[in-house]
Amino acid sequence: MVDPLESSDDDPVQRRRFLLEDTGFDEVPARYRRFYRKWRGAGDQLAPNEAICPVCKVVIRSSRELWPGDRLYCMPCMSRLVVVEATDGRLEAHVSY
Amino acid sequence: MADTIDAYSIQNWLESCPQSYLENTEYGHAAGEKEPDFFLQNEVLLEETIKATVQLVVGERCALSASSGLINAAPDEASRRFLATQTLDEARHVEVFTQRLYDLGVRKKDLEGTIQRYANPNLVKFAEVLLEKIDRKDFISGVVGQNIVLEGMAFSVFEMMYAMNESVNPKFAHTLSGTIADERRHVGFGENRIGSLIREHPEKRGEVEQMQKEMSYFMLATFADAFRNNRTVDELEAAGIERPHSQYQGVDLGVMAPEDMEQVLADTVLKEFKTRLGRIGIEYQTPTRP
Repeated sequence: MVDPLESSDDDPVQRRRFLLEDTGFDEVPARYRRFYRKWRGAGDQLAPNEAICPVCKVVIRSSRELWPGDRLYCMPCMSRLVVVEATDGRLEAHVSY
Repeated sequence: MADTIDAYSIQNWLESCPQSYLENTEYGHAAGEKEPDFFLQNEVLLEETIKATVQLVVGERCALSASSGLINAAPDEASRRFLATQTLDEARHVEVFTQRLYDLGVRKKDLEGTIQRYANPNLVKFAEVLLEKIDRKDFISGVVGQNIVLEGMAFSVFEMMYAMNESVNPKFAHTLSGTIADERRHVGFGENRIGSLIREHPEKRGEVEQMQKEMSYFMLATFADAFRNNRTVDELEAAGIERPHSQYQGVDLGVMAPEDMEQVLADTVLKEFKTRLGRIGIEYQTPTRP
């Protein structure tokens, strides 16, 4: 398993699928690189399969749509994260120690 | 996906760092890349660049002493191995920034004298607060001081320097890019390891918070000296060289006065401290503004 989406409580077949391409991110071993990209700052937007790591600010990308409650792994900083829905409805990743 | 022990392994470090973003680099940048001529040929710009690079060497020497000192204070094998990789990262940072001083014309015999002449006294005090904890083998305070406060500061400073250099000095921007990648692992270890340890040792909170307050003060004082006494912007204007319109934290650094850049950097770092410390259960202490 190389996708950073480690587990989810729902049926994965209901989720949208995403084809991931290399973004030039080279801070992890080659087989994991398409699952991460650099945050491009103001003006950048997260796709439904993406979450920003609050620890190292790298964008984590899954091949599946992310939903609240999903558990993610951020390989560049080795953090475990949980996807939560913020008050404004956006998805955020929170660190799980 | 890898568990925590695997993530802290030497194997993971080898595959992520030397076999990835450092592959085919020379002192952190592509072979053949050079410092721009206009910096080397202008006396004022050259001195300011040397002065700024000295602060990087001083900060990284502190990080090298701290991470190596923490190895024997670590309570578990996985942390010891991670800190061994961090020690090599920090030694590499000392080496690449020292090499930059040589590239800027500092002679090897003058290295220590140059560092002594330009090292910011407040940055030295910042380092002393941290190294005192390391000397006492205080693992929790040491990791918070090193991997959250020092590395958190370095992370933001390097990001800002990267933005300022990306278009005008690709050589230095590439060197910074590799160090930023290293810092991601270091801050990750700091938060993840201490996040659980601080819950087991709540009695350490007061001491750690006091250390953060002291280190933050000396950091702000270093920023104040570095920006307020910097002649780079005036010299670029006098030489008719347009500053690059670098974007950092949503602002255009190319049109800002040095004092405003200092404010943006200080606010960014302090906000990050507050957020990171809050996540691991430590209450951020507002430092006095110098």
